[in-house]
Amino acid sequence: MRGLAWRAFVYAAAFGLAAQAVLPLLWMLSTSLKPPREVFATPPTFVPAAPTLENFARLVTDTAFLTYFRNSVVVAGLTVVLTMAVGALGAYSLTRFAFPGREAVARLVLCTYMFAPIMIVIPIYILARRLSLVNTHTALVLSYSSFCLPFALWLLRAFFGSIPVSLEEAAHVDGAGRGRAVLHIVLPLALPGLIATSIFTFTLAWNDYIFTRILIASDDLKTLPVGVQDLFAAAVVDWGLVMAAGMLITIPALAFFMAVQRHLVAGWGTGGLKG
Amino acid sequence: MRRRLPEAVLGVLWILPALVLIAGLILYPVAYAIWLSLFDKHSFFPAERWVGLGNYARIAGDAEFWDSLWKGVVYAGASTVLQLVLGLAAALVLHQAFRGRTAIRALVLFPYMIPTIVAVIVWRWLLNETYGVVDDVLVRLRLVREPVVWLGVDHMMTSLIAVSVWQFTPFVVVSVLARLQTIPLELGEAARVDGASAWARFRHITLPQLRGVLFVVVLLRSIWMFTKFDTVWLWGEGAGAGREIRTLPIYAYMRTFTYYQAGFGAALAVIMFLMLMAATLVYFRLFWGEEDAA
Repeated sequence: MRGLAWRAFVYAAAFGLAAQAVLPLLWMLSTSLKPPREVFATPPTFVPAAPTLENFARLVTDTAFLTYFRNSVVVAGLTVVLTMAVGALGAYSLTRFAFPGREAVARLVLCTYMFAPIMIVIPIYILARRLSLVNTHTALVLSYSSFCLPFALWLLRAFFGSIPVSLEEAAHVDGAGRGRAVLHIVLPLALPGLIATSIFTFTLAWNDYIFTRILIASDDLKTLPVGVQDLFAAAVVDWGLVMAAGMLITIPALAFFMAVQRHLVAGWGTGGLKG
Repeated sequence: MRRRLPEAVLGVLWILPALVLIAGLILYPVAYAIWLSLFDKHSFFPAERWVGLGNYARIAGDAEFWDSLWKGVVYAGASTVLQLVLGLAAALVLHQAFRGRTAIRALVLFPYMIPTIVAVIVWRWLLNETYGVVDDVLVRLRLVREPVVWLGVDHMMTSLIAVSVWQFTPFVVVSVLARLQTIPLELGEAARVDGASAWARFRHITLPQLRGVLFVVVLLRSIWMFTKFDTVWLWGEGAGAGREIRTLPIYAYMRTFTYYQAGFGAALAVIMFLMLMAATLVYFRLFWGEEDAA
């Protein structure tokens, strides 16, 4: 069973798995580097005969891509800041402070996984209209943060729980208050967890489509997924341009992913999930 | 020295901001959706009219609702089963020892980490009937005579399921892989010494250990596929055959934002949620065992 045939099978299967995941993205890269004439060549070519950055240049000069990009960075960035601040406080409370109903709160938080975005987004839209928050980044940041909080709380709780209480107690003996003990001992030790949670949060805000579609109307406030979809919805699809846009959205998402993928499996076991 | 607050008070204070956000932007909207479903209300204008369970009565007799429910069940069912089978197989392969394993494990996750809009535009391009590489290869291999119109009426659902399986199977792979790594090696080794075949070892040692993780993965994936909005919406919109994949979340969205019937749309969302709750309860009744708690 452990013979040559088995090894050959494992390598072939692993190669196949990598290929199915990566080839479509390489095809996007290839198309994004082709001049218009080659994009529509039949049969299609895998390696561009005359690679050019023309599509990327047109994306930057002819479309509002940079505006969308900046909006995405701002919204995802603020979402991470808010989620981490509120989430770390809450997770620490759920780990270290004894108060009545603590476990019930933790379980209630977990139950919110049950609610699909489509169920929440309709009432959120009507509420946002009432509060004049439609068409603001504030509405997006608040929505994403509350959507990310359940998993942020559970993930951080697991990380905080793995830090020995004795370390904090030692700091108390040395006269440090609760806040300083958290700041100087707990947070640095939980850094991998904080990073992993930030990445999950960032990815969710960066990738989201539905909240922006519903809450944002004006072009100069749109984030990337909606902006690029509008590019795509043009009468004649400019595939070179669309693929270039796809590349530029994908790169930050994948870069962040590669940076933390070591921590990813740990996070998976403790609730770092999305749809 | 400063006076210290009692621990219980501190605990509540520190969790409060998180609870306010969750209550205000998840729990309250859900409650509001239920309330809204009892009204006939325009999505933009403030006027509303109490109709009680009128929206629900209308839904019961609405052919479009039953059609979208059926499409949603087909989509969620087929894509969940495929993700489960393919994901389990892929995880078993990636659990083997081979060179480059760490890198390939990371690469396999890519489809799950990229934004949905990217997955959709890439596959729309690959499956384009005129310039797409998939049809080009299929025709050249003589597997099909004419290019297949993947985004046409006949194949819309098939191609949507295929793209969804591509995008979401990595979730199953990682979940199963994480669990596989915690199974003690000695179990398999002992069975091997006793002469158990690879299949017998998988069937009687590995699979029972995976029971718990598979229970959770099937639950989450089927819930998420049944409520999936962005992949389905982006796949259908503008393709002219969007009707073929009008699942329940899409239908609820359209009622609210195309027909401006916010009450009707909310009622659809509530029904979707109630059906999920009921299905989840049945699922737990049928498959939950004490050993799954691990």
